[in-house]
Amino acid sequence: MAQRIFVIDDAATVRLYHRQILEGAGFEVHEAINGIEALEKVLLASTPFDLYLVDVNMPKQDGYGFLRELRQLDIRQAPAIMISTEAQAIDRVKAWEAGANFYLVKPIKPDALLGYVHLLLGAGGTA
Amino acid sequence: MGIIKDKKIKIVQQDERSRARDPDSLVAALTDADPTARRWAARDLADFPAMASALAERLTLEPEASVREALLLSLTQIGNRVAVEGLLAGLRSDDAALRNEASEALKDLPDAVAPLMSDVLTDPDPDVRIFAVNVLESLRHPDVEQWLIQVISTDTHVNVCATAVDLLGEVGTTAAVSALQSLKARFPEEPYIHFAIDLALKRIHED
Repeated sequence: MAQRIFVIDDAATVRLYHRQILEGAGFEVHEAINGIEALEKVLLASTPFDLYLVDVNMPKQDGYGFLRELRQLDIRQAPAIMISTEAQAIDRVKAWEAGANFYLVKPIKPDALLGYVHLLLGAGGTA
Repeated sequence: MGIIKDKKIKIVQQDERSRARDPDSLVAALTDADPTARRWAARDLADFPAMASALAERLTLEPEASVREALLLSLTQIGNRVAVEGLLAGLRSDDAALRNEASEALKDLPDAVAPLMSDVLTDPDPDVRIFAVNVLESLRHPDVEQWLIQVISTDTHVNVCATAVDLLGEVGTTAAVSALQSLKARFPEEPYIHFAIDLALKRIHED
């Protein structure tokens, strides 16, 4: 059974880019366009997600807000990679404080993304 | 607990009734210790466009989400140059939530934002330029495509260009094709840029 990765980003092109990379590596990809929609999908999911790929800047609820609320939920927690256009050290600190495992700066190259995903899900941890 | 809460609400309401609603008093109330008083002041200041600078100044300092919402709404309702500049300042905030809220508010003010857009799109901070491009998404202004073409032709920051390419995929016409193709050559080692440009060109040619 493929591991489930939840891509949360308001930009449709970014979601599609990540989907192609991740599905190409054998993962099952789910999407949301902001933190509020993502939390709803997390709560409704019959099978927990294995990893979250979260954009920082999104309307309605940003990535930090989503992760803070996610980490309060009584569910099986999973690692999270936060991605952003912002490369300041303070942004990385905020991401870790919110509950992210890694903070990557856009644009992300396919090999780099898969490297971090495999690192968090275990060696060769795909389908 | 319910009784205590009711009592608190009553006190706040009585307090509200006793407060002066003239602009100077409302500006003073923007820094009140009670968030409810601050929220009411922010809301009522929408009737005083000359006080937009006070609302803008408070926007970057206000910790309460509900008060900030009232500040953003009043600034949007006022919609003059001072209000727009205050919202643009929100794009420079360290607070991601405020940046997003300011961006959303600016999208409601196309006519007021348009004269300032050229300046914001050349702001020294690439994150501000990215937000400016995001604001263009909902601006519904006749110059949007030309602004985006200008961005992808001149901006040196990959993420600013990537954001503009995303939007050109939605609003671009054949007028953008040449600039999109040239952009590929400027970022030969960025798979995302190539992916987004190919997608944008496909959508343009489909239309």
